[in-house]
Amino acid sequence: MPELAQNRPAAGLRADPRVLARERRRERALAFGVYAFLIIVSLPLVAGYGWLVLNSFSTELVHGVWPEGFTLRHWRFLWEPPSDYYPDLWRTTWNTLWLAIGMTVTMVAVATPTAYALSRMKFRGRSLFLALTLILHAFPGITLLIATYYVLRTLGLLNSIPGVFLVKAALMLPLGVWVMKGFYDAISWDVEMSALVDGASRIQTWYKVMLPQVMPGVASISIFSFIYGWSEYIYVITFIQDKNAWTLSSYINSIVGDYRFLDYGLLSATALFYIAPVLLFFFFTQKYLMRVTIGGTKGGS
Amino acid sequence: MSRRQKVALAVLMLPALAVVVAFYAVPAVMTAAMSFTDMDFRLRWNFVGFATFLRMAEDFLLPGILQNTIVYTFATLALFNVGLAVLLALATTFVPDRIGRVFQALWLLPRFTPPIVYGIIWMWILDPTGAGLLNSLVVAAGGRPVNWITDYPMAVIVLTNGIIGASFGMVIFYSAIKSIPRDYSWAALADGATWLQQVRYVTLPLIRWPLLFVTAYQTLSLLTSYEYILIITGGGPYFASTVWSLYAYNLAFGGYFANYEFGYGAALSIVLVVLGTVASIVYWRVFRFRDMMAEPKIEVM
Amino acid sequence: MARIRLEGLTKAFGPVVAVNDVNLSIEDGELLALLGPSGCGKSTILLMLAGIYRPTRGDIYFDDQRVNDVPPKGRGVGLVFQSYALYPHMTVFDNIAFPLRLRRAKREEIERRVREVARTAQIEELLARKPSQLSGGQQQRVALCRALVKEPELLLLDEPLSNLDARLRIETRTEIKRLQRELGITTILVTHDQIEALTMADRIAVMRSGVIEQLSKPQELYERPANLFVASFIGDPPMNLVRMEFRNDGGMPRLETAGLTIQLPPSARPQLERAEGREVVLGVRPEDLRFRTEPAPGLPVAQVFMLEPLGRDTLVDMRAGQQSIRALVPGSSEAKIGDTVYLQLEVEKLHVFDGVTGVRLDLGAGEQPALRVEAKGGA
Repeated sequence: MPELAQNRPAAGLRADPRVLARERRRERALAFGVYAFLIIVSLPLVAGYGWLVLNSFSTELVHGVWPEGFTLRHWRFLWEPPSDYYPDLWRTTWNTLWLAIGMTVTMVAVATPTAYALSRMKFRGRSLFLALTLILHAFPGITLLIATYYVLRTLGLLNSIPGVFLVKAALMLPLGVWVMKGFYDAISWDVEMSALVDGASRIQTWYKVMLPQVMPGVASISIFSFIYGWSEYIYVITFIQDKNAWTLSSYINSIVGDYRFLDYGLLSATALFYIAPVLLFFFFTQKYLMRVTIGGTKGGS
Repeated sequence: MSRRQKVALAVLMLPALAVVVAFYAVPAVMTAAMSFTDMDFRLRWNFVGFATFLRMAEDFLLPGILQNTIVYTFATLALFNVGLAVLLALATTFVPDRIGRVFQALWLLPRFTPPIVYGIIWMWILDPTGAGLLNSLVVAAGGRPVNWITDYPMAVIVLTNGIIGASFGMVIFYSAIKSIPRDYSWAALADGATWLQQVRYVTLPLIRWPLLFVTAYQTLSLLTSYEYILIITGGGPYFASTVWSLYAYNLAFGGYFANYEFGYGAALSIVLVVLGTVASIVYWRVFRFRDMMAEPKIEVM
Repeated sequence: MARIRLEGLTKAFGPVVAVNDVNLSIEDGELLALLGPSGCGKSTILLMLAGIYRPTRGDIYFDDQRVNDVPPKGRGVGLVFQSYALYPHMTVFDNIAFPLRLRRAKREEIERRVREVARTAQIEELLARKPSQLSGGQQQRVALCRALVKEPELLLLDEPLSNLDARLRIETRTEIKRLQRELGITTILVTHDQIEALTMADRIAVMRSGVIEQLSKPQELYERPANLFVASFIGDPPMNLVRMEFRNDGGMPRLETAGLTIQLPPSARPQLERAEGREVVLGVRPEDLRFRTEPAPGLPVAQVFMLEPLGRDTLVDMRAGQQSIRALVPGSSEAKIGDTVYLQLEVEKLHVFDGVTGVRLDLGAGEQPALRVEAKGGA
């Protein structure tokens, strides 16, 4: 847009210098307004995430805002639990990682082949399954939570990490299939036909020729699933009571319950500990995350 | 299809089919069945006919909750998920790409932040003592600390959900605006349109389809989401910020009664399930997803 | 190598019939071109031959063996796409070796055969590269190698030259033709480019809307187009086609349109009377049309209204009556815009088609008709 503004044709050769000056002023005011808007609405976000970092390392925040004195006191939870009630932090962290990895693997393992079949194969029920994928993509799976609790209990998967990641992966599956289908759709038919003519079966074509080409898609849904698995809250809180199976969500949820107005230092330090891997992923793989966010909605636009 | 072809297809499709059956079909049917029982923590199938639905009609809390749900859904949608999203998309397309991407990343961050961490940030911002961000500003301005969460619970849940919700629309609108051919804006510039006129007469009309899409999808997702409300206000004080889906959740798993009212909770859920199903199918038709279901070009397996 | 036979081959996609009852046989070692505009069904035939599409009706025979139900890998077909369709994640070597690996050929054999075919196509030094590091022409060669390395019974080329620049296209044309001759592989070339088909093919099948309009040797296609479609499709610039009315006064057949009358010998009558209506279409190729600037009584008159110098030739746009006619003359034209010219028509260079069915009508076959052409009315 700004280069547009520069390319803007002068309003005819007859333009009055005063008119031009007024136009320029107006443009500058507009640019100023846009930047001011962006900065002002984004301030709470910057303040919020900034606070997490500052508060977790400082002795005191003057007026709740200004950091004073560097300390690692709030990070004590890394080696000693806040109280006897809490399970071992590292075990909890491991559980969280297990949830994230389990979810990623399930998602990739299920979505990748299914998306190939839906994108490329001709079979009866294909359009029905495709329609179902899209309808489920819009359908709010969270409304089924009560019954899902019952299903997990029946399967003996309550209080277990696999129980949570199976449910969560299932709920994200339509999105994953849809995104992966987009990647398969983008591969030229000629390449696949060539593979068949070269003597490959459909399955060989899939893993020897197609799969290597949709790796960016696999990366996208992997990172997406990993972050969502790592961050999962509601299903963890609801399906896992056993402290041995807690994830960081349950751990911090409990800290919020116990120390909410007492120890913001502990709150912010544990929160930062939890979000750190996400931040890392987020800054290095944003391209992939955007792909899923947009890819999940293609066709709407 | 030959035997081998059937096997190939089964290998690719069965995992997804199993997941869909186990975590969509079965829970959906089960939610419906449960809603005709008075199931509690003992998880007994004691069918009571329409008792739960009669209870719904008599539940003196429901009118207020319904009102909360409607206010929450449509205020968040209008102010943030569509309103702020459009403004952010316009602003980030106006500024140079590099800067625009920084702001977009900032706004996408909450979407990938663990919900409990996001909640902690808001607990600090909205802290009722002078320790919180908002109140330290109020105090600095000479006022007295406000208990934001108890005094303005609805505003709080709209704001906190909206900040997350805005990024979805922002990303969709951003790519929609970016894909508008430049000729349009150049033509508008040549006609002497200001930036605002361009937005009004060129940009917005050209992104009306994504606008409709975001509105539709976000309505459904807001109607059924309660995770952040649960964390930040817990639906309180009393039921002041409880929405329909949170009420259902709290009846089954929540704190107030701790009486595991699965039957009544399922009855409340089934309303959302039916709504969600109908809406998803309608979206599927409206957004012509069928058009994207092109036939595969290879006819052999 | 194989003889290929198509019998009543039909392919429908839902209600759309892409290929309609095609009968065709291709001799061992022959290069046949399927020529036609896009959407005429030529690629669909190719994909049916490769086994990617199943015929809706009809049969495909390789050496008298029906292959309808044989999957692609069992057919021994090599296929080169317009897009080359190289596997982007594999090196050139791996691309060419892929068909052999799928057959579980021995490592040494793969190595030997890949090198051999790469040498023939002069791409040995590229074997370690990825497709994205190759030029279009190089990718084309790799695709050809990949198709040839398995020593196919039948080589299918789908617009193999369309993505190359003009100079490279001419080179590659010769190259492919040479390879095909040397190896003696039965080959089917699909193209929309008539020059490609005319220069490379032993025989050409011109297709439109799923039907073969004419199957013949290249020269015959040009000299005796079987119908209006072929006449207008083959030749560049296209043939002049003028719709005329057939009159028959006292046994003297005559073609008429506003401003133009052509008298034909009586021997042309039986053929012309086979036309279903009274209308026929007269065709003259621009390169067969000559004119003179000095007045010549009895010749049709035309006005020059545009000259398009093409370097070696000049294209002269003229108007005769209400008809727009073009002539291609060598060198620069003596005529200038606005000149009145007199058209010289040679009867053996005239093509006449049935005005209703479009089928060619041969005027007094073999006999040299005493043709008189006369002008009537003002131009």
